[in-house]
Amino acid sequence: MTWHSFLNLSTLENRHLLAAYITVWAIQGGYFAWVAWQWRRTSRPRP
Amino acid sequence: MSRPSILRTAAWPWFVASLAVLVYAFREAIFIVPADAAQGDAGRIFYYHVPSAMLSLVFPYINFLASLAFLYWRRRDPLKALAADALALSAAEVTLVFTSICLLTGMLWGRATWGIWWTWDERLTSELLLWLLYAAYLTVRRYSATGQTQTIAAVLSVFAAIDVPIVYMSIRWWRTQHPAPVFFGGPDSGMAPSMLPAFTWNIIGWGAWGIFILCFRYALERRRQLAEQEAALDAIEASLEPTQ
Repeated sequence: MTWHSFLNLSTLENRHLLAAYITVWAIQGGYFAWVAWQWRRTSRPRP
Repeated sequence: MSRPSILRTAAWPWFVASLAVLVYAFREAIFIVPADAAQGDAGRIFYYHVPSAMLSLVFPYINFLASLAFLYWRRRDPLKALAADALALSAAEVTLVFTSICLLTGMLWGRATWGIWWTWDERLTSELLLWLLYAAYLTVRRYSATGQTQTIAAVLSVFAAIDVPIVYMSIRWWRTQHPAPVFFGGPDSGMAPSMLPAFTWNIIGWGAWGIFILCFRYALERRRQLAEQEAALDAIEASLEPTQ
């Protein structure tokens, strides 16, 4: 498989493959971004 | 070196290493492994679906053990109980993330291969039940105002832990539409040697990522707990100051 065929949306199986990989990165990346954002918003404990 | 500083020092190299392994694993799964003879390129969903499915059955036990520790320590040692509770909450969120991915990628694969998005098959249903139990767990954590929230959630985690072996055994106990077990499924199970590197790199990568995100979320929850304690102490001190 090449980048061209990975990003090819002409067949149902290719669309679903791309959607599955995007879903995984979106959920994991979104959760990481949420934790990082909360980390910045929560004040550091006093030493 | 103190434990928090060791964790902080290890966090960035672990994060970078996890991402590097995941990039390599992506390359293996998409560009190196030949397309499956029966499923075509849709078969490549396997390399993200199966590691997520396996990890969605590992993190519930971290949640379960931390919940048991919380129940044990909540009257004996409240500070240890708080740490256990932070770990339980973090593991519950990470479980929900992996369970969601397992269900969604499974549905995308099912539609491409079986022609249907969903079927009430034992494996799919028990995994959905696991997702619902953790959704309930996190809803209780977020919205319950009884003062016993952590205890109720800890009890819910016991139910979730009971569901995990049912999910694992479902494709062994019953004839399901879900494919037969790839590992430990008897003489006919196993993986083609050409698939093994892509699968191995993906399970290592997602496992390392899961550990990283669990530790990061745990550190956040501990920071939040300490911030709440400091705010409570400040409020008590302010109330004790003599009024003019």
